[in-house]
Amino acid sequence: MKRLLPSTSAKLALIVMGFFLAAFVLIGAGVYVAVSTLLLQDTRELVKSDAITLVDIYREGGQAALLNELQFRIQDPEGDPDAVYALTDAQGGSLLGRMPEARKPGPRGRWVQFNEHAPEPGQTLRVMAYTQTLRSGEVLLTGQRLQAQDQLLAVMKQAALVTLLTAAGLGALVGWLISRWVARRLRNLDATVARVSSGELGLRATLDHSDDAFDQVAQRFNGMLDRIEDLLSGVRHATDHIAHDLRTPLTRLRNRLEDLRQHQTDSGVQHKLDRALAETDQLLQSFGALLRLARIEAQPLEEDAPLLALRDLVEDAVELYAPIGAERQIQVQTALDDVHVRGDRDQLFQLVVNLLDNALKYAPPDSSVDVTLDVQENAQEAAVRLQVADHGPGIPEAERARVFDRFQRLEAHRGSPGVGLGLSLVRAIVTHHGGRIALQDNDPGLRVVVMLPLR
Amino acid sequence: MRILLVEDDTHTAAFIAKGLREDGHAVDHASDGKQGLFLASTEPYDALVLDRMLPGLDGMTLLRTLRGAGNALPILLLTALGDTDHRVEGLRAGADDYLVKPFAFAELSARLDGIVKRNRSSGEREPTRLQSAGLELDLLAREARREGRRIELQPREFRLLEYLLRHAGQVVTRTMLLEAVWDYHFDPQTNVIDVHISRLRQKIDHGFDKPILHTVRGAGYRLGE
Repeated sequence: MKRLLPSTSAKLALIVMGFFLAAFVLIGAGVYVAVSTLLLQDTRELVKSDAITLVDIYREGGQAALLNELQFRIQDPEGDPDAVYALTDAQGGSLLGRMPEARKPGPRGRWVQFNEHAPEPGQTLRVMAYTQTLRSGEVLLTGQRLQAQDQLLAVMKQAALVTLLTAAGLGALVGWLISRWVARRLRNLDATVARVSSGELGLRATLDHSDDAFDQVAQRFNGMLDRIEDLLSGVRHATDHIAHDLRTPLTRLRNRLEDLRQHQTDSGVQHKLDRALAETDQLLQSFGALLRLARIEAQPLEEDAPLLALRDLVEDAVELYAPIGAERQIQVQTALDDVHVRGDRDQLFQLVVNLLDNALKYAPPDSSVDVTLDVQENAQEAAVRLQVADHGPGIPEAERARVFDRFQRLEAHRGSPGVGLGLSLVRAIVTHHGGRIALQDNDPGLRVVVMLPLR
Repeated sequence: MRILLVEDDTHTAAFIAKGLREDGHAVDHASDGKQGLFLASTEPYDALVLDRMLPGLDGMTLLRTLRGAGNALPILLLTALGDTDHRVEGLRAGADDYLVKPFAFAELSARLDGIVKRNRSSGEREPTRLQSAGLELDLLAREARREGRRIELQPREFRLLEYLLRHAGQVVTRTMLLEAVWDYHFDPQTNVIDVHISRLRQKIDHGFDKPILHTVRGAGYRLGE
């Protein structure tokens, strides 16, 4: 999710930049075409008027006068350096200059464009010329080198390219900044949502009170969380109160049953009373667990909680529970690093015990339960990682979030003993210690991963 | 034994008093802290069962006052909440043991026996050898023998047996064993202790005609003839 966010806004920025550049290129191309057409038009008019003057001279003085005029124009240092002239006689023999093509133009004249070698080697110059057949069959070419026009266009192209690159760079920069800003605003909210959905219900999105769209979303989001928390704590308080209020009468019931049991000599009745006592004990145990859960959730962890050697604690728990597994040929395998966490010793022991108890309960005979303890480091944080993995039936992914709820037991496990508070208690303890818990697939089986802050 | 019970809830008080009388103890009942403190400091008792929450003078204050006056009476503190903080606070204030309501009477009885015995033997030198019912534990060499035959024990099994032997003849509950031998206060979810006891029983009773580690129904275990 975190990786997706910047790419979404980056994509958006790229699209905007792309459209921006496309528009720029289109406008540039339009201007280029318009300007070059205009320049060509001007040249044609120049050439045309030149040709008209020359044809007038020919009409008055004949071939000799024209030749004379042309030669004078070519040699005149004051004349137009870009002007090009050529003249052939009726048989096609060159009288002056060079004709680009032998084909005779019609009496109405024809526009031609050709390339000419420039004085600088390797370069060519574009020439725009008008050829026409004169009265006695001579062909006159009047032209204009497009040097100046081409230079102007080249300068324009260069300027456009520089502008384009600058605009692209600027566009990318602005796009990047915007995407970063959007991503930052969204990531803040996204991170909060992620942590809240993983159980930190007390968390709220930070508001900057700018009252912009993001801030409003964050406000609404916080309002929604407040509501959810209210509802949840209402439910929790109800269960806790029920547990508390029912405990006293239940205790009395238990005491009366025990009293009865003590004074009963009939073994059949004794047996029935024992069963009733066991049921009551089970109920009391559930209430006890509920109350413990409520207390753990209500109290924040003390700042100066003692530093505990978690490895020793896990070893103790494994030593205590391994014999239960051994009865069904289940081996508890451990790989424990020497790590320390701050916290409540009894609570953490309860956590490990509940996870082990669960794993051993669901592990098939002749299998193994793996307990590992290490330090998991990534770019943001270093955390203590405790994993308990079995090879049992596992928990379907859709039901994984549910198993942490109070009294929530999977349909398939209804028959087995337990009240469905074990994992709720585990999560409460993990949250109480500022950690996180995740259920993963052990393929087959369940892998419980508990992350606790390293201190 | 003569026992003082300070408890405001009449039902609980009646339940405890009845049980204790049936065990053959003499019981005095005080229903508030003031009366309790008066009785405890004027009459000679063997043990005090004290509720933590009392009207008037609260249980913790009573406890501190007694200890402050140098009274070494064995005290078992009762509470409705099994909070670790409360337990630690109670023990620090000088209670000998701590019990969370609701409890089976057997649990209270076993713990009461435990603290009274511990109190009586506290003047003696710490033994290096424990002995009962033909079973002998050398605490220095960490060796266990039954009728001369050596028994191989894991360190935890040795501690378990040591605790049972220290309370030989008395009923020891599962919770007491978990607290004393494993030193954690938690809800074991299953009867995990039973598995450890049956392993220990295999080692110490195997090959002998008479079992010495007995299960007491509805209460716990007892080591003895």
